[in-house]
Amino acid sequence: MVEHWNHNPKDKGSKPFFIKFMFLNSLSYFFSNIIILSCFMVIFVNNSILSTLFLVLSFIAASCLLFLFECEFIALMFVIIYVGAIAVLFLFVVMMLNVKTINLTKNNFKYLPFAFFVGVVFLIESFLIISQNFKNNSYYQKIFLNSYKNWYDKLDSLTEIEIIGQIIYTHYVLQFLVAGLILFLVVIGAVILTADFSYKNLKNQSSYKQLSRKYQNVLLI
Amino acid sequence: MILQIKEISIFSEIFLSISIIFLTLHGVFLSYNKFNKFLLLQNSILSLAVLILVMSSFLIFNEHLFILDYLSFNYSISNDYLSFLTKILIGVITIFFLLIIEQYLLDQKINHFEYILIILYSVLGLFLLCSANDLITAYLAIELQSLSFYLLAAFKKNSTFSIEAGLKYFILGAFSSGLFLFGASIVYGVVGSINFDDFKDLFFWLSPGNKFEFLQTNLLQFGLTFILISLFFKLALVPFHLWAPDVYEKSPTSSSFFFAVVPKIAIFVLLLRICYYSFFGFIDCWRYYIIIISFLSVLVGSFAGLEQRKLKSLMAYSSISHMGYLLISFSTGSIEGIQMLFNYIIIYMISGFCIWGIFILTRLKNNYSKKGNKDLGDLTLLKKSNKILAFVFSLTLFSVAGLPPMVGFFVKFGVFLSAIEASMYFVALFNILFSVISTFYYIRIIKILYFEKILVGKLYYPIKTEKFIIIFLFFYLFIFLFINPTFLYLISYKVSLLFF
Repeated sequence: MVEHWNHNPKDKGSKPFFIKFMFLNSLSYFFSNIIILSCFMVIFVNNSILSTLFLVLSFIAASCLLFLFECEFIALMFVIIYVGAIAVLFLFVVMMLNVKTINLTKNNFKYLPFAFFVGVVFLIESFLIISQNFKNNSYYQKIFLNSYKNWYDKLDSLTEIEIIGQIIYTHYVLQFLVAGLILFLVVIGAVILTADFSYKNLKNQSSYKQLSRKYQNVLLI
Repeated sequence: MILQIKEISIFSEIFLSISIIFLTLHGVFLSYNKFNKFLLLQNSILSLAVLILVMSSFLIFNEHLFILDYLSFNYSISNDYLSFLTKILIGVITIFFLLIIEQYLLDQKINHFEYILIILYSVLGLFLLCSANDLITAYLAIELQSLSFYLLAAFKKNSTFSIEAGLKYFILGAFSSGLFLFGASIVYGVVGSINFDDFKDLFFWLSPGNKFEFLQTNLLQFGLTFILISLFFKLALVPFHLWAPDVYEKSPTSSSFFFAVVPKIAIFVLLLRICYYSFFGFIDCWRYYIIIISFLSVLVGSFAGLEQRKLKSLMAYSSISHMGYLLISFSTGSIEGIQMLFNYIIIYMISGFCIWGIFILTRLKNNYSKKGNKDLGDLTLLKKSNKILAFVFSLTLFSVAGLPPMVGFFVKFGVFLSAIEASMYFVALFNILFSVISTFYYIRIIKILYFEKILVGKLYYPIKTEKFIIIFLFFYLFIFLFINPTFLYLISYKVSLLFF
């Protein structure tokens, strides 16, 4: 990223510019490392409350990364939807449901070597292909000549919400409606699969049980 | 903005989605109500669903393709003959499917009316998938269809098997959707568009056999491979097939009937749009591993089917091997290949409908049948108790196996012919040999129906005449299409010619 920006002849050698991108680079590396580490922790931590908290951490880091890339609206949506709703929902599920503690740590490592092997092969392959492809600009001085364009002249000064609204409500109306239908279907499915309509086993909240739960004996996965 | 008539194309989908919402409201207000004492609505909702599907198929039938624009909704919906034909096929098959499963739903006490709603949802997803012309629409349609399939698999809440099938289907389906998204994002990153029409315009100059020396397309092929793999997951081809026999076996029979017969054609339409319409120049890249996958799936489908004792998992393996044959004609890269693909898939749907329909209509007269899983032994001496049913069943199996007096022979013959025309001699030879092996387990069922050395057969409940007429209608098509296959060849040829 740094080298790329230095190619711009106007800004060559100007120090504040260089420092700014240095800073942004290091911040983006920092947040993406946090995402990777917290995803690992979500899988490997035994206590499920801790793993949910790590999930929240990964969402927050992702939204920070989006802030760095100047997608403010999507970043805020990330925080509101994922952190606010889903993570709290997960915490509720973990706290409310009385799932028996099962220790699955022994089985966790049974398939690890094979999965590790497959994952490493996949990772190396994708890295090879991506590095091969972005080493040089394959279009440069070939069939499709890249003509110089000043993108700042082409940009409108629209805010992000306006742009997203224009895209969703004009170009992708149909897709937006289909996404709404998918959500409707999922609501119906969740009601069918979970709700029990007989009077015999109505689910009631027993506050004694909830209050007597402790941090240590929440379900372990 | 003035919306012109020629831009409004997907009337049937709009009608279907609106009527699904109305049906939901109707059901909820009538059924989940204390004053109505929780009415059981599923029979009336089933008839309403049949009515809705008839009307939406009628709407598709009335779409005059030569008036409509070729692409509508910001180039994301294509109104061509391919989507027209496949949508009509899916609609008609689903109507008959709904009529057939009525009794089964009563027997298994699947009392929630939402079962039929979810089937309508999946039909909506399949319709959208047939006419999708960009990756986002295709992804959303696949999600709509497969989410409703997970629900259909897990619908029998009191059976652990059904819940397990639903969970397994859900996890693997979500995994394959993730692969699709990964591939699609790579393709978008490289090409800068998600529209199939743009892909075609960008890569039309790449002729097959080109070495692409001046353009590195490795990353594009990488993304394309992921998209194809996720679609192969949905089709249950061999390295990705392990979910299929379990899910078919454990979910309710009506659901696995639907999984086996209806959705395959829509996914093949998407495959055709990706591999032939947009990335035909890359045929050298995807062709070889598609041939390997088809070879493996015919191999596994024929050999693993020999071991099965349950009819449902047997049919699952049989469907895996049929998907393999379809993929052979898919990989030829010629117009004849596409034509044979369509011939084969239409006959596959019809014969699958017959077999699963007969399977769902024969209800044993004992408590054991409430479990809903039939061994092959449950059909012993069907000849004695129901002569015509046994006759229809055995001739359908002959057609599936590809024996001459039925139309199954013609379509299988066509697939191998197109493979030989594309000079894939070894593929054709080995697949003919595997096809002979798979004939064994079809004929074993016929042996069980007719020549078992047992004095006492099984007793069945009588089958309603209306239901049997439907089965016989489809059975009549086998013989009619053998005598006069022009109709089949004509429509499939029209599809394959108008497709490019």
